Amino acid sequence: MSRNRSNRTRGAVNLHLQQQKPEAENAVPGPQGSCTTMCPLYELREREAHNRLHRFEILAGTEKDRRPRADVVRTVKEYSRPAAGKDSTRPSDLRPPSVLLKTTCYLIDEIAASPTLQPWTEVYSFVFDRLRSVRQDLIIQRCWGPECKAILERTVRFLLYASFRLCGEPLQLYDPKINDTHLQECLSWLLESYSQQHSTDTTQSQSSAQEEFHALNLLYNLGSTQMMQRVLELPMSMRSSPSVNLALLVSQAFVEQNPVRVLRLARRLDFLQVCALHRHIETCRRKLLLLYSHGYNSRNCRFPVSQLAILLGLDDALTAELCNAHGVTIQGQWVAFSKTQFIETPLTQLRCVKMHNMDMKQKDFNIRSIINGSF
Amino acid sequence: MAHITINQYLQQVLEAIDNRDGSFCAEFLSFKHPHVANPRLQLSNPEEKCQQVLEPPYDEMIAAHLRCTYAVANHDFVEAYKCQTVVVQYPLRMAFQAHKEDNWALPLMFAVALDLRIFANNAEQQLQKKGKGKVGDMLEKAAEQLMSCFRVCASDNRAGIDDSKKWGMLFLINQLFKIYFKINKLHLCKPLIRAIDSSNLKDEYSMAQRVTYKYYVGCKAMFDSDFQQAEEYLSFSFQHCHRSCQRNKRLILIYLLPVKMLLGHMPTDQLLKKYDLMQFADVTKAVSEGNLLLLNEVLAKHETFFIRCGIFLILEKLKIITYRNLFKKVYLLLKTHQMPLDAFLVALKMMQVEEVDIDEVQCILANLIYMGHIKGYISHQHQKLVVSKQNPFPPLSSIS
Repeated sequence: MSRNRSNRTRGAVNLHLQQQKPEAENAVPGPQGSCTTMCPLYELREREAHNRLHRFEILAGTEKDRRPRADVVRTVKEYSRPAAGKDSTRPSDLRPPSVLLKTTCYLIDEIAASPTLQPWTEVYSFVFDRLRSVRQDLIIQRCWGPECKAILERTVRFLLYASFRLCGEPLQLYDPKINDTHLQECLSWLLESYSQQHSTDTTQSQSSAQEEFHALNLLYNLGSTQMMQRVLELPMSMRSSPSVNLALLVSQAFVEQNPVRVLRLARRLDFLQVCALHRHIETCRRKLLLLYSHGYNSRNCRFPVSQLAILLGLDDALTAELCNAHGVTIQGQWVAFSKTQFIETPLTQLRCVKMHNMDMKQKDFNIRSIINGSF
Repeated sequence: MAHITINQYLQQVLEAIDNRDGSFCAEFLSFKHPHVANPRLQLSNPEEKCQQVLEPPYDEMIAAHLRCTYAVANHDFVEAYKCQTVVVQYPLRMAFQAHKEDNWALPLMFAVALDLRIFANNAEQQLQKKGKGKVGDMLEKAAEQLMSCFRVCASDNRAGIDDSKKWGMLFLINQLFKIYFKINKLHLCKPLIRAIDSSNLKDEYSMAQRVTYKYYVGCKAMFDSDFQQAEEYLSFSFQHCHRSCQRNKRLILIYLLPVKMLLGHMPTDQLLKKYDLMQFADVTKAVSEGNLLLLNEVLAKHETFFIRCGIFLILEKLKIITYRNLFKKVYLLLKTHQMPLDAFLVALKMMQVEEVDIDEVQCILANLIYMGHIKGYISHQHQKLVVSKQNPFPPLSSIS
């Protein structure tokens, strides 16, 4: 597992991600993969021989052996950094798009959504790495077709879900920056492949997928004028779809500096949309306290804590904690806003995960259907 | 020009080179010049002819140029672009060899750089029509070549000021700006802006080049929400843009207007009529009257135009100022310094603002107070906005 971690050191990620999209759709076609298993046989034997199988890949019953055996139906090709002299284009090592899609579904259905595999940080680590390898095969083979989109859609949903679920985990187990880098890459690749598709070729279900991901992109990158501009340039039918429209309203409220409206609209978001938005909610709450510290700034200010709690979408206790961290005085049931006392950077380390929208009990949701997009 | 033979053409080029006449020579390489329409020059293999008359490297450069005219005559812009990339390499090479100490060939560099960008544009459009090619690919590659040319100019420390290639910097920067704006990578403009800011030539370049430069920097400042700087640069650009360039003046105005409006200066109808920008007239009216309903209607009505220009999102920022104007009207109507919050809610509802309630009214007011548009505070206990007796709604121009 430490090997997987070293593969993800930040500097390397940044350097490597410079060429992470396949070349234009009608450029010279890439090599065609012929590997029909999730892991090329060569790699399987190699890793088995050197005891480098992940515990999710080990054949049941052989875990305690000196050299555990690989379970062929559970071994998945791992990500390996391209290196000089290493030929990563051997067809027998490359999985064609149909196999890649099956691999992705296996990783989501059997690993990410598994009710028994623990801890989820390890599940994430494994799935993250294997999905990265799936994308690598797509790039080498220069795929842009429907399987590519289906794979990217699931990957984006997985990474979004992970950003929410693992929020606050220790850095060595989950690095939000790395997750973010890959998420942005996948989103950008996915949206570009949508834009290359002619609108006449798009089916109804493909349209709804596009709407879903334009909305998620907008929410994840809340406040980005570039993303908002891109959405405004979409055809009207897509712009006025419920998800895109709602995402636009949230964006506009954010840009207009109306955090009350943002937090209110956020209650209408579905689970995955909340995952996309959640890292901005902290900013909104802070903004709200800032604005109110100025707007209500007076000597005998008495603003009910319970009212503030409703606006922030938190319970009274967490509201008090947030206020204390930002220098906002609470006296019993009242908040005494003061613009001179407000502190921008919180005094204490606030754990975002504690503030995660509380009526969004993640256990109620089926991970498998969330990531496969059928909930 | 449209009738000369290939030999006559090559002789003229040779003469221009011998006389070190940069501008004259540049004409023979520029697609703005009528010689490109001359079928006698549109050759697919002009190398031998060129070698007979010209010395290297001019022979190869001109040969590539003539191949390019051939491609353009056949409407093959992808091929034209490829040829042009070859042409552009020569001024670069020459700068290091034959022209180390002088800059007479700068006009040549300008002409071929301009055509490179234009062909990259055309080639991409051609590919897009066929459903091929990624948007921005060719332009990015063209930008890389132009950057090399720029670096050659910027790093010229040898020659005295009159012979320095640094005089080429601004022209090339403007070409690069045009590409970066087109491919939406504005952040790449930053190092170029820094280069000019630190250059002692920055106010010595031709006015035309400076107007163009300030236009792009002003636009970038606008997109970065630095409205003070945007106003400064765009105003300069507008004022110094030659009166005969109506199209350019209009273009500058499209970006200057939203910036000025955000700073509280509304344009006159006269100005808008003169430049055929009446779309802004209704926006101006709505904002000054505090009429949110009209503003929303106008933005929707001219949406396509505003979105295409990229100013829709900026104009939406005028909403805050419109709120301010609306609430000022409420204050003037009620003639009191302690206004019930309900009054503002009623005003917003009259403007058909959707789903607004007293909580949002408080937030909007809090934001206006925070931004300095209202001097006062909200009293939650009394559900009132209490404003200062003196100048509770400071003039917009006084707030940054």
